[in-house]
Amino acid sequence: MIIVTGASKGLGKSICDNLIKSGKKVIGLARDTSNLNFKSYDCDVSDFDRLKAISKELKKDNIKVEGLINAAGIAAMNLALTTPQSTTKRIIETNLLGTIYTTQAFLPLLIRNKKGSIINFSTIAVNLSLKGESIYVASKAGVEGFTKSFAREAADFNVTVNCIAPGPINTNLIKGISEKQLEKIIKQQIFTKMHTHNDVCDLVDLLLDEKSRRITGEILNVGGA
Amino acid sequence: MKLEELNIEIISFIEDKLEEEGIEDIEVTSESRLIGDGGVIDSLGIVELCLFLEDKASDMNFEFDWTSDSAMSNSRSIFASISTLSKNFLEQSSK
Repeated sequence: MIIVTGASKGLGKSICDNLIKSGKKVIGLARDTSNLNFKSYDCDVSDFDRLKAISKELKKDNIKVEGLINAAGIAAMNLALTTPQSTTKRIIETNLLGTIYTTQAFLPLLIRNKKGSIINFSTIAVNLSLKGESIYVASKAGVEGFTKSFAREAADFNVTVNCIAPGPINTNLIKGISEKQLEKIIKQQIFTKMHTHNDVCDLVDLLLDEKSRRITGEILNVGGA
Repeated sequence: MKLEELNIEIISFIEDKLEEEGIEDIEVTSESRLIGDGGVIDSLGIVELCLFLEDKASDMNFEFDWTSDSAMSNSRSIFASISTLSKNFLEQSSK
């Protein structure tokens, strides 16, 4: 089984659909899973107790977990000075703490499986230090640091930990960016174009595959930065 | 289950782990430290021990929680020694 957070929309939903299409079994986690027609749980990734309860239920049902994809994420494109405290808190709680909590809750299941792959999500905005995204960037830079350091801990258990940092993709996260701004970001990449959900899904496939068993602690930019 | 019985099971589990790693010169007793200076096993061993106790708890129809704040607290960690871990496990089983 592969656990995917942020499974109800955006990139998380595309990843779930792609995995299911290729014959994989998926467990989706999202705040509202009413639109999902596969095994799923309503869950806010910043709620550690809920994550632990789901993990316990999966263990009780002897579910073998071979992958964890931390795709849940939110953004607010705004200057740091004009971002409300509640928004700042929510971004850090979902993007950074959510990734850490989910990993802590489900790692024992991956260890029991004797091998596994954890895939976190960052953004090209970290490498490019984009203006007007500092809080979002701070949360994702934290995810990148967690990925690199935690990979060393997880290696003891034959679990790889990597982070995908895509350039602009058509999701809700870029809705707040003007066309002019978007064009500027695109031009700073190596591949100067928008990317597709498939570009990311293909990388997810690779990182879940046995062929990538020695790739760990890496931040992989889709688009190049 | 009695405290002494559980101590023996945990000691036996740790001795097996040490043997797998070719380590024979460490004496494991109920007072052996599990974490920090003088700990008899590494972090990998601790996690494997916890998964072993999770399975044991499952057989005894309770959930063993080893990730609480107190579990990893330096001053009152349940991993201070084998006997503190055993005591905590049995306390959780009786709740």
